[in-house]
Amino acid sequence: MDQSHIRNFCIIAHIDHGKSTLADRIIEKCGAIRGTAQEQMLDSMDIERERGITIKMAAVRLDYRAKNGQEYQLNLIDTPGHVDFTYEVSRALAACEGALLIVDASQGVEAQTIANAGMAMNQNLEIVPVINKIDLPHADVERAKEEIEHAIVIPAHDAVLASAKAGIGIEDILEAVCMRMPSPTGNHAAPLRALIYDSHFDSYQGAVAYIRVVDGSVRPGDKIKMMSSGATFVVDEVGVFKPQLVRTEELQTGEVGFITAAMKAIGDAKVGDTVTLAENAAKEPLPGYRDVKPMVYCGLYPTDGDAYEDLRDAIEKLKLNDASLTFTPETSAALGFGFRCGFLGLLHMEIARERLEREFGLDLILTAPSVDFLVHATNGSIEHISNPSEFPSPNEISMIEEPTVSATIMTPQEYVGAVMTLCQERRGVYLRSEYPSPNRVMLYYTLPLAEILLDFFDKLKSSTRGYASFDYELGDYQGSDLVKLDILLNGDIVDALSFIVHRSFAYQRGKGVVEQLRKVVPRQQYEVRIQAAIGSKIISADSIKPFRKNVIAKCYGGDVTRKRKLLEKQKAGKKRMKQIGSVELPQEAFLSVLKVME
Amino acid sequence: MTPIAVYVHTPFCPSKCGYCDFNSYAMTGSIVDETVAAMIKEIQNSPWRGRPAKTIFFGGGTPTFLTSDQLLSILDAVVEAHPPIEDCEITSEANPGTVDATKFGAMRAGGFNRISLGAQSFVPEELTRLGRIHGPSEIGRAVHAARDAGFDNVNIDLMFALPGQSMRVWEQNLDAALALKTDHLSLYCLTIEPNTRYYKLHLKGMLDLPDDDQQVEMYEMACSKTAEAGLDHYEISNFSKPNMQSRHNLCYWRCEEYIGYGPGAVGRVGATRTTNLKHPNLYVSAVNAGEKLWCEREALDDEALRLERVMLGIRLSEGLDRTGLDAQAISALTKRGWLNVSSDRLHLTPEGKHFCSEVALALA
Repeated sequence: MDQSHIRNFCIIAHIDHGKSTLADRIIEKCGAIRGTAQEQMLDSMDIERERGITIKMAAVRLDYRAKNGQEYQLNLIDTPGHVDFTYEVSRALAACEGALLIVDASQGVEAQTIANAGMAMNQNLEIVPVINKIDLPHADVERAKEEIEHAIVIPAHDAVLASAKAGIGIEDILEAVCMRMPSPTGNHAAPLRALIYDSHFDSYQGAVAYIRVVDGSVRPGDKIKMMSSGATFVVDEVGVFKPQLVRTEELQTGEVGFITAAMKAIGDAKVGDTVTLAENAAKEPLPGYRDVKPMVYCGLYPTDGDAYEDLRDAIEKLKLNDASLTFTPETSAALGFGFRCGFLGLLHMEIARERLEREFGLDLILTAPSVDFLVHATNGSIEHISNPSEFPSPNEISMIEEPTVSATIMTPQEYVGAVMTLCQERRGVYLRSEYPSPNRVMLYYTLPLAEILLDFFDKLKSSTRGYASFDYELGDYQGSDLVKLDILLNGDIVDALSFIVHRSFAYQRGKGVVEQLRKVVPRQQYEVRIQAAIGSKIISADSIKPFRKNVIAKCYGGDVTRKRKLLEKQKAGKKRMKQIGSVELPQEAFLSVLKVME
Repeated sequence: MTPIAVYVHTPFCPSKCGYCDFNSYAMTGSIVDETVAAMIKEIQNSPWRGRPAKTIFFGGGTPTFLTSDQLLSILDAVVEAHPPIEDCEITSEANPGTVDATKFGAMRAGGFNRISLGAQSFVPEELTRLGRIHGPSEIGRAVHAARDAGFDNVNIDLMFALPGQSMRVWEQNLDAALALKTDHLSLYCLTIEPNTRYYKLHLKGMLDLPDDDQQVEMYEMACSKTAEAGLDHYEISNFSKPNMQSRHNLCYWRCEEYIGYGPGAVGRVGATRTTNLKHPNLYVSAVNAGEKLWCEREALDDEALRLERVMLGIRLSEGLDRTGLDAQAISALTKRGWLNVSSDRLHLTPEGKHFCSEVALALA
């Protein structure tokens, strides 16, 4: 395909503004999928379909004959909307020249609309605004345009009006992609330079690298070199996404596709690396991706201690497909060997856990999530600590700093009071307000990261009847009066249950965790005493009485199978329990601290 | 051929009780006759025909909901297909509200030699709440009628830990049952089973059930009162005069084979357990069409058989053969005070009886 007729573009939007549906319509319009069309075509993971969200970016190559009679090759990259998956979005943007910015006509510009548009502008992408859901009764196209112009500062008079659901304006969108977005600029004659923007691990083919060819071309048999490591491989296959992987003869300048090259080691296809040819190599690699900084950390342990190596293998493979995941080995007195993993948010954490369990058949325990603290010791040393159990004793700490975020909250005027109250409760510091359109307010706050991770978003939604939206980016560290709260079972501290909390919330949270544990820990053979403590001071206590009986009253010929299955179920339940000293804890016990704040 | 236990399931009841999850139906009319005819046909065509009956047990449902003629026509078919061994125990369950001297007389003359009465309680309000059709006075009357008809082996079923039941009321129940001096007592702690009316009530918090501690106390009272009365506590929930254990049920607990006839009846021969079609309509049409009768079939692997052997055997006072069981688990359970070891057999201690399932789990 002539380079001038290639368009690489993505769709960016606030969550639920209709990205995936629009992607479906575009794919249908281009006839890429025949026969049984389904919903969320680019969301291939079960988790995505079950939850109705996009977690992974996904690419598809489309052929489109424009109104001018010419054929275009379109590479569409669908991206996630949730703030936890911003890193996916940023990588997708780097493979594109243009972006469709979707704004829901009834909701208007939201916090992630602004954040994602900002990223696209930083990458110098041509942004085509699309006002979606214009057929809804509450659609207000003029207000949406006004908000785009005020809040994002791009012209919106020529925004495409559409309804993905009703199939309105799809052709206009495709025409805008072909006519308004630029073609890729790379040099076909130059040595190969291709950016790895994503990858996944295939047990037969090894790492499959998803690439955007910036200069030159690549075909099977080529000897390629990874510019960061210098490792060389011979290309097995190249191909494109339709959206399933389809082999082709060559990937040319400007195209998006995949390569396999028997890259068996996990690190062979590193996201952000540049692929070139072993001979006639490019001199300079492409700008890679900034390393992403996790927002929240937790310990990840196999329920079965013997599965540690399996867990390592699984995390390494998952990392290929989830570049924002970080991990380092750690040990816990209670849980044995595991990993401290960093995530971009709790949804990300939950999804990663679910993928590890589903895709790798593991049974995992997650410890209470925590942010990364800067701990100043009395001896003058300063350390990053994200694992509460690694905190020095209080008398060795001179100061603790915690990470903050710069938050942007967009809300209708009438809820400003409620939002400000919520932010205050969460130790927020007000910065300023802006008014992108009459009746809509953008509030800027500095908030401790720890206070927004858990239920802030839900609380924000419920106190604004669902109208407010929220985005944030990591800010600086600030000193804070934090304490470590320990949980004791039968008098012994369980390190995996410890967490860091602001002193003013300590009593309430400690009491909450004790109550929650009392709910989720089943009665055992012996009494279980549960205590929450700061240092040696007990702030809350309760106990679980031992069970007095476990007996099947009746067991005759017709009952045997069912009663046996009951025992088998109890046995399986026990296997999923973690023995901590004399106490058996179910997996959910370790997330009690989360439940308390919800 | 080795003798085998034979179970016959009669699925009909005058009404469905709130706690009951057995395969039972409050149906009347021609389906009853059709079911009896189909059961006879099933027995006559049995692949196990010819194996002598070690014991025969008619359960339900309410076997005595059927006429004595119907009951005996089924029993005749069983006896023809499975010649009873000498001294064969032949039991029928009976509801005190559905029997009288005439019926018991006919049943005794027809070959039944043991009666198991579903008394459940001697307190009128409790019986009403359970959904039983009989009153307390009918229980004593039924026991005496059975005796008069020549049954020298009579059992009473009672339940405890009923909604709202106090220790005092349970004690009254026990005393009333013991006063009848039956040969056998089955005392069951009420279990809330899914798919019952009680289950729904329980989920709504509408059953005021005695807690664990009270259940334990009630059970211990039953143990000591039956012991004083000279009954042998030979299985978790069963008590008998010397040598008057339920031989049929011993077969289950000893993990022996059994055949099941009738709608929903369960049998296990070899390592295969089958369950017949449950609804009388389905059962009758399958028998008449000569189609397969079972709706569930389970091939028991070694692990399942082993768990069953442990789970059932440990319930008996005669104990469980320790061969092949984990010595470490045995010593831990002994230390815990739940298990006694005598030569090669394992027995639950009185404390261990409350934790029968825990013990089975630890051993299997």
